[in-house]
Amino acid sequence: MRFLRRFSARLMNLTMRRNNTQRLQEEMEEHIALQTQENLRAGMTLTEARRQALLKLGAVEAVREHYHAEQTLPLVESLWEDLRYAVRQLVKSPAFTIAAFITFAVGIGVNTAIFSSMDAVVLHPLAVPRLDRVVTLSEERVKGGYEQAALANYEDWLRGSSSFEELAVRKEADMTLTGAGDAAHIEAAVTSASFFSVLRSTALFGRVYGPEESQPGRDAVAVLNYAFWQQHFGADPGVLGRKIELDQRSYTIIGVLPQSMQYPSTADFYLPFAPTPAQLSDRVERNYLVIGRLRDGVSVQQAQAELRTMAEHMAGAYPATNQGWTVHVESLLDGINGPYTPEYYRLLMGATLFLLLIVCANVANLQLARGVARRPEIAMRIALGATRWRILRQLLTENILLGLAGAVGGLAFGALFLHLTLITMPARVARYMSGWSNISLNGRVLFFSLLIAGLAGFIAGMAPAVDALRVNLVDQLKAGSRSSVGSGRTHRLRSIFAVVQISLAVALVIGAALISKGMNAWLHVADFYRPGTILTFNINLPKSRYGTPQKRAQWYDASLTRLRALPGVTQAELVSALPYDDNGWVRDVELENRPSVPGKLLSTLYLPVSAGYFDALHVPVVAGRVFNQGDSLSSLPVAIVSERFVAEHFPGQNPLGHRIRIGGRNSNEPWLTIAGVAKETNYSLWDSVQHTAVYVDAGQIPPASVTYAITATGDPLSVAPAARNALAGIDPAIPLDTVETYAQLLHDNLVGLAYVAALLGFDALFALFLAAIGIFAIMANLVSERTREFGLRIAMGARREDVLRMVLRRAGRLTAIGLGVGLPLAFALAHALAGMLHGVQPGDPLVFVLMALTILIVALAASWIPAWRAGRVDPMVALREE
Amino acid sequence: MKEKSDVQQGTLTLMVLKTLETLGPLHGYGVARRIEQISGNLLAVNQGTLYPLLLKLEHEGAISSAWGASENNRRARFYKITRDGRNRLQNEAREWQQTADIIAQFFKLEAGDFS
Repeated sequence: MRFLRRFSARLMNLTMRRNNTQRLQEEMEEHIALQTQENLRAGMTLTEARRQALLKLGAVEAVREHYHAEQTLPLVESLWEDLRYAVRQLVKSPAFTIAAFITFAVGIGVNTAIFSSMDAVVLHPLAVPRLDRVVTLSEERVKGGYEQAALANYEDWLRGSSSFEELAVRKEADMTLTGAGDAAHIEAAVTSASFFSVLRSTALFGRVYGPEESQPGRDAVAVLNYAFWQQHFGADPGVLGRKIELDQRSYTIIGVLPQSMQYPSTADFYLPFAPTPAQLSDRVERNYLVIGRLRDGVSVQQAQAELRTMAEHMAGAYPATNQGWTVHVESLLDGINGPYTPEYYRLLMGATLFLLLIVCANVANLQLARGVARRPEIAMRIALGATRWRILRQLLTENILLGLAGAVGGLAFGALFLHLTLITMPARVARYMSGWSNISLNGRVLFFSLLIAGLAGFIAGMAPAVDALRVNLVDQLKAGSRSSVGSGRTHRLRSIFAVVQISLAVALVIGAALISKGMNAWLHVADFYRPGTILTFNINLPKSRYGTPQKRAQWYDASLTRLRALPGVTQAELVSALPYDDNGWVRDVELENRPSVPGKLLSTLYLPVSAGYFDALHVPVVAGRVFNQGDSLSSLPVAIVSERFVAEHFPGQNPLGHRIRIGGRNSNEPWLTIAGVAKETNYSLWDSVQHTAVYVDAGQIPPASVTYAITATGDPLSVAPAARNALAGIDPAIPLDTVETYAQLLHDNLVGLAYVAALLGFDALFALFLAAIGIFAIMANLVSERTREFGLRIAMGARREDVLRMVLRRAGRLTAIGLGVGLPLAFALAHALAGMLHGVQPGDPLVFVLMALTILIVALAASWIPAWRAGRVDPMVALREE
Repeated sequence: MKEKSDVQQGTLTLMVLKTLETLGPLHGYGVARRIEQISGNLLAVNQGTLYPLLLKLEHEGAISSAWGASENNRRARFYKITRDGRNRLQNEAREWQQTADIIAQFFKLEAGDFS
């Protein structure tokens, strides 16, 4: 209390710049006058009386200093002085200041941009209060493998567990929207009303549905997702109360969710889940996603333990359905992010912080050079009585100020950088990444930028400041202001910084080169299929009108006939997933008369295709036969299996004629007779081990949704309108999704990786540039300091080439050390990258050698100008200089 | 310059407050003189150190100050104890008394008392 009062009084004095020195002066004069009078009365002479009075008062200067210190806050005051001094010093050397500012701004800017997208995507993908308390619950096979939950089990959890404040359930539904513009295929999240309260989410406007609407017959209300509202309804606020049709059923729109609520990220609509009694007692259909909010003080492990105990009881009560099942609880955040995204971001953030280190080394190097020139100034200040701590503080203030100025520039640069990233990424990214649309420069980002700016300033300033302090006072003052030759120590320090820069740049450049090479391999992985000539789109036949295989088969048949008749179309086929598009359906498979091994389920990629698919996509059938007109709904069901399938399940045998069944034990799918063997084809970009594949005839076993592949003679996109018309002629309510070329489809799948590659490439280029500047600066400095020596050498008969070679040799040595440190670093980075590399080994010798050579050449090229200048020194001028 | 020990600093504060309480408003010299008269050598030299202390006490709200006229009719700064200052003086005086009692008690003990 007392302290606070004193502090505020002092703060007031400081801010009002109130000065009481006059008052003290007057008081002391009065004091002396009174004491003198007293002394006179005691019988002293006037001079003696005054002398004694002064003696008694004591050291006036010390009193004054104490008084001043008491008056204001000395630390703040000197900080203010330091700042003003720093600004004056920075303004005095504009070239240095601008160079340091720009390097800081770019370094901090890139960090800001990457941090802000990481913050939005990985750390805070949803604007959900206390997101860390929200978990997902899934059922887990004791033998291994997760599944979603069955509704009756969820109901038991709801009633029997005490770990959760609330639980909610949702399922996904594909629907067709009509009654609002063109027919569109949408994805809906069908949720319990508690879904919104678990996430603590309210509507942006309108309202979300409540429990009373989660009953059959009263559930015809819909809540819109923000992005869908923007795209499909033009952000019209009058959308509330509007009637729309989803799968021919009428719904009323009652609310719109805020932009920050993108969960699940693919949902366009939220509809109330009104379970029927039959659904509520179902323990077989495990296709409900359950989320819950943990009670305060309950950990994820505790909640899981409680549910596992319950699962044991349930296994006893319902052995037919629950035997062998337990429960898995994990944080929702982990589930949203998946394994890859955080890893990508960690990698990028790491690489970018590397870059910041290079920036620091660069500024430190510049500061060291400047420190040499400032030595007389510092010597003078020390001689005048400034303490070393005071000077250190002053120099650090200067650097932190530079760093903070860099932060301001960095925020501007970061905003621009982010904007460029956002506009170059396809809009579809937001569907895969929940937080993508939340990316912005918010308070956390601002704090992060200021923090790294302060740190960067400190790191960059520490070594030069300490170095500057170690001046030899006497030598320096004697030499006067002329001398600005750095000591050996300074040179060593500068060399170390140059080496650090080079070695970090080596690591970044090699990492970026590897990932670019891999990226390139990936982009061309499907070239064999000539993806630029193929138009693709998806269609989805709604269950309500295409519930029977006959209807679907008819539709597919009719569509292919019409598409093939279009001008410019050479081939039109359909498949459930194209090579490399990672869209395939992995299902259990069972071999006839083959005992199954307990705990080991066989799985395979299940691919319904049209008969011409093998020819159109150049997937040759190497044994047996291709599907043909004879394969129909009424004929014997057949399958074509991949070479890997044969190698795994029929090694050394002829697979033809054997029978397999999709769907595992007790499946109600028909047995399929193997009629052919197709050449191995990859259906995934990412999986290192490819699945086996089973093809069936889409005319014989028609699926609900397929992808069309239409080969065109010209630009495939120009066929799209005609294709749309042709299909609308069969059923206008069936929308075409993601109409694009096969090449675009593949690029979209690679967009996350392309983002990583591009940013890493930027980091690497900038690092290389800074390293080049670093080595240039140190060489230029060396040459200017040794001009006289070079002049002498030339005067003594050294050839200019010798001098030039001497300088270059030194640059070469620094670079070689940098490479020596950087290559192992690059190797470590390459191994961290291994998961993102394709068609290139982490230790790819070509990349390593080429990049090391590039760096050597860049470093020598940067040193060439100073070296050339050294060789051109005029001996007469150089010798006369001193 | 050698810093005064905490005890001395604390004593000086207490003396200033007590002086102002007993004698009413005083200027710096008056306070210094009074303390010199009573405590002897504590303020015989370096009387100037009183002024930073007075300013500190003023910042803490224990005393207030105003310009007035001194005995020889010149402008002088007069210090006056505030209500806060009186409370503080009371509390601190009590604490001093307690400490002093304990110490006195302690030194009165004979060797035999410890056995």
